[in-house]
Amino acid sequence: MTSPLQEFDTLIIGGGIAGLQAALDLAEQDFKVAVIERDPSIGGRMIRLSKVFPTLDCASCITTPKMAASAHHDNITLFTYCELEKVERENGVFRASVRQKPRYVIEEKCIGCRQCEYACPVYSPDQEQGGFGARKAISIPFSNAVPQTAILDVDSCMLCGKCEKVCPTGAVDYLQQPREFELQGRSVIVASGYRLLEEYPQQAYGNAALQPNLITSLQMERILAPHGPYMRVLRPSDGKEPESIAFIQCAGSRDLTFGVPYCSRVCCMYAIKQAMLLSGALPLADLTVYYMDIRAFGKNYEQFFQNAKAMGIEFVKAKPVITGQGESQSVRIRYEDQESGSGVVEREHDLVVLSLAVVPAWQPGPILSVSSADDGFIKSIRPKLAPSLTDQEGVFTAGMAVGPKDIVDTIVEAGSAAMAAANYLSAGADSRRRAAGGGSQ
Amino acid sequence: MNQDRERNAAGEEPKVGVYICHCGGNISDHVDVEKVENLAAKLPGVAVARRNMFMCSDPGQEMIMEDIKAGRINRVVVASCAPSLHETTFRGAIARAGHNPYLYEHANIREQVSWVHHGAGATAKAATLVSAAVAKAQSLEPLRPIRVNAWGHATVIGGGVAGLKAAGELSRRGIKVTLVEKTPFLGGNTAQLDLVFPTADRAGDLIEALVTQVLDDPNVQLLTCAEVTASEGYVGNFRLKVARRPPQKDAFREQLAKAQEAGLRNFVPFVGLLPVEAPKTEEVFTLETGAIILATGFRHYVPYKGEYGYAEFPQVVTLPDLIKSVAADPGGGTLRLGGREVRTVAMIHCVGSRQIPGVNEPPGADRLNEHCSRVCCTATLQVAVELRTKYPKTVVYDLFRDIRTYGRGHEEFYLNASRKAVRFLRFTPEQPPVVSSSVDGTSALRITVADTLLGGEEVEIPVDLVVLAVGMESGSVSSLVEMMKLPTGADGFLLEVHPKLRPVEVAASGILLAGTAQAPMDISESTAAASAAAVKASAILSRGYVELDPFVARVSPERCTGCGDCVEACLVDGALVMKETSGGQSMPEVNPALCKGCGVCVAACPEKALEVNGWTLQQYETMVDAIVSQPAAASEGGI
Repeated sequence: MTSPLQEFDTLIIGGGIAGLQAALDLAEQDFKVAVIERDPSIGGRMIRLSKVFPTLDCASCITTPKMAASAHHDNITLFTYCELEKVERENGVFRASVRQKPRYVIEEKCIGCRQCEYACPVYSPDQEQGGFGARKAISIPFSNAVPQTAILDVDSCMLCGKCEKVCPTGAVDYLQQPREFELQGRSVIVASGYRLLEEYPQQAYGNAALQPNLITSLQMERILAPHGPYMRVLRPSDGKEPESIAFIQCAGSRDLTFGVPYCSRVCCMYAIKQAMLLSGALPLADLTVYYMDIRAFGKNYEQFFQNAKAMGIEFVKAKPVITGQGESQSVRIRYEDQESGSGVVEREHDLVVLSLAVVPAWQPGPILSVSSADDGFIKSIRPKLAPSLTDQEGVFTAGMAVGPKDIVDTIVEAGSAAMAAANYLSAGADSRRRAAGGGSQ
Repeated sequence: MNQDRERNAAGEEPKVGVYICHCGGNISDHVDVEKVENLAAKLPGVAVARRNMFMCSDPGQEMIMEDIKAGRINRVVVASCAPSLHETTFRGAIARAGHNPYLYEHANIREQVSWVHHGAGATAKAATLVSAAVAKAQSLEPLRPIRVNAWGHATVIGGGVAGLKAAGELSRRGIKVTLVEKTPFLGGNTAQLDLVFPTADRAGDLIEALVTQVLDDPNVQLLTCAEVTASEGYVGNFRLKVARRPPQKDAFREQLAKAQEAGLRNFVPFVGLLPVEAPKTEEVFTLETGAIILATGFRHYVPYKGEYGYAEFPQVVTLPDLIKSVAADPGGGTLRLGGREVRTVAMIHCVGSRQIPGVNEPPGADRLNEHCSRVCCTATLQVAVELRTKYPKTVVYDLFRDIRTYGRGHEEFYLNASRKAVRFLRFTPEQPPVVSSSVDGTSALRITVADTLLGGEEVEIPVDLVVLAVGMESGSVSSLVEMMKLPTGADGFLLEVHPKLRPVEVAASGILLAGTAQAPMDISESTAAASAAAVKASAILSRGYVELDPFVARVSPERCTGCGDCVEACLVDGALVMKETSGGQSMPEVNPALCKGCGVCVAACPEKALEVNGWTLQQYETMVDAIVSQPAAASEGGI
């Protein structure tokens, strides 16, 4: 099935906080924007977080209004659950071939009533909850997803037909096919974000990495989220309240052996934040952060770090390894204690969080011709004066796609990408007017 | 908003919809939201009462819109977080449902309830605030935003990289800009650098590239040696007085001489770029401008006498001093400074940054710099690598607390420094390094430090030079802060509304922040912030008008006796003035664009002839009545 070609001023790749902020800043200047998002909902990583540093605002409170504003803006069109297949530039116009994956639910018909979800008898692990909770085979992705359209997971569906029967609008379509269409834009912003270096634990720790109480930082975000899988802080293996929780920083970052050479920039602050939230949820728990350097460099971040120290969170300068499972399913670690000079120490924690390195979520090549740098992130050709400029004319970039950065820096950079795109678009309009003999001067 | 489509509920029986937010658990963990919902449902005038996990989410807003569209309600109360966060979000939802967005009342049950009270008392207080909001909602009148024209012009204050970048962006977007710079030079603090990390761009090249975009640009008016002396007005309609004065007798004499020698428009290292001659006479400009971008930059921390031997030993210098000293030096063998051989350098981090109350006690300081200055780690390591490269025989020690090479390409400097045998020692703020004169005379100074990388072992290093990585402090903006009523944070920097929701805006609409006026940033971050500020200014100015909240004073002519007490009480020049009416009577007139809706005039009027729209005395009375008649609150008590 193909739809007629749709024309925009800017195509934004990625509907996370960077993409949405850039979209809003362009739309407010009356540019028409398309946001192309791979997931069934916009909101990116941010909407999946618990609270955000250093203000401890709930992530949803900050993200949902921007999601809603984008969804309702006359100048913004959202394309969710879409894969970008090819972007080509011809005569200054980008033509993007897009493939919308089948939800097996007709988007235009679904009213988000969740009747299908209630009727579905199949439970499967909910990746939106770090794999800890369960979801139905057909469901709305999460409570504040945009759009509120159900999606059917073909891998777990057993085709019992219950959802189709209860749907009041006849939106369930088991035979739905992918939809191919083309979008046109005069400029592109790449805001494709990051993923965690999930492969690191096994490379670095071998089979010792395979234990239920060794979790990633994004899984800890879900455990801490107010509407998380357990609705409280429990450890995955046995549902016990952990009495001792540790964070291992630079798990993959600044690691030339198994990981990446660069600093992932956000992990120090989110580990401190998670430790603070844990200390609120479990006031008696021992909290330890093993770090190489604490990088609390942003506005009010250092003060946040000092508060955490004053709250009694223990900071140990060390780079531990996971050596195996200890008593009663605890995680056993070993490290050199530099500050006390007491040599190699072995310790066990009920729950250990790995602050994993961040890596780009998407590589533009061969789909879009922009270069990445040696670190894998998009290459910024004028990093000092115009950080959002790529080596392809008309293509700009913002957020984690162009290197690790926190939400504050991402939002500011998204604004700068929108400014660069707006100026590129208006310069183009001027030259077209001149070419047409109109003359703008 | 389509006015024909909009149903404003005037004359209709009030039907209030109450929406209670769980805020994830921020509210519902401490407030029994179900109970509040049930109590609200029973209040007179309430048509529906509902709850949602996140009212601000799309499904939450959708709930309100559907109730409006179905005609179930014509007034909205949302009980959630502080109105500063989401009042506009919910007004927007009401408007999208085709309803007047001012038929809305907000109850703050997070900051004012769940974050500060627990248990039954929290629930009781939430119920009370909701009942007050419901009472007020019923007497709300539909209002319209005040639309005023906006000047298609922006003013950028500060001619460093952030200011230059912002001016260039706006001009390209077709917006006229005036750039106001205090000194005769462009380039700001960046002009004091040599090579910048991580690209090794020459600072002068960066400044020239930015200046090229604004010089000779018909959209850009450049005022150097100029300062804003007065400011009035509001978003879209600011009026600034700018005085351009000849530099004071001795100020900039040396720099001006260098710049003149190099010729106008040429960058002079460690001076800046002189775009035009400094003025010979004073000239005053009045700018009518729609938006103001503050790019006023930072100052380096100045160590106090005796801080790591500063101002006691001539061999103790700051990092900017050292950068200047070695910039033009060809290098080779051992570093020489002031004719003396420097065989060993010690660089100390966090001087005037990350100060801890009770640990750092700088004499005479009215404020500690508790913040991290963000750029000094990479800047220090860049210089350390440069020293080891240019002067291979000079040994470099680096004394740090945490190495914060966080940025893209920054970690490489740490790695390179290690590879080039820079020797790292880590100290704690409680046991900082001590700089003293050498005992045996083999070196100029010695440093003793407890190195936590060696289990806290005390180490003594003979050194010939100590370099202090001084932090960044807020620039001297006290007059602008005073003039424009700008908020500053505890760290002294200008304060944004919210670091994530509105990171480059200050509370006063139309005033924007760019670069290190807001917080320490490197050049990349400053130029990105400048562009982000420019995009906001562009959004404000490209429409040609701005809409202001209608919560302003109004006069009831039938009650007014023309005594003028209100005009005397009014705090804003021009917001309330006496005017002759056609009947020859004197009566106050409100300038809605200037009025802040503070209500001072309302209190001053002996005849109750003034009201503030959206906050009338009668509306307050209904709220108070609702609060005192709340049996739920009284019986459960405990607030």
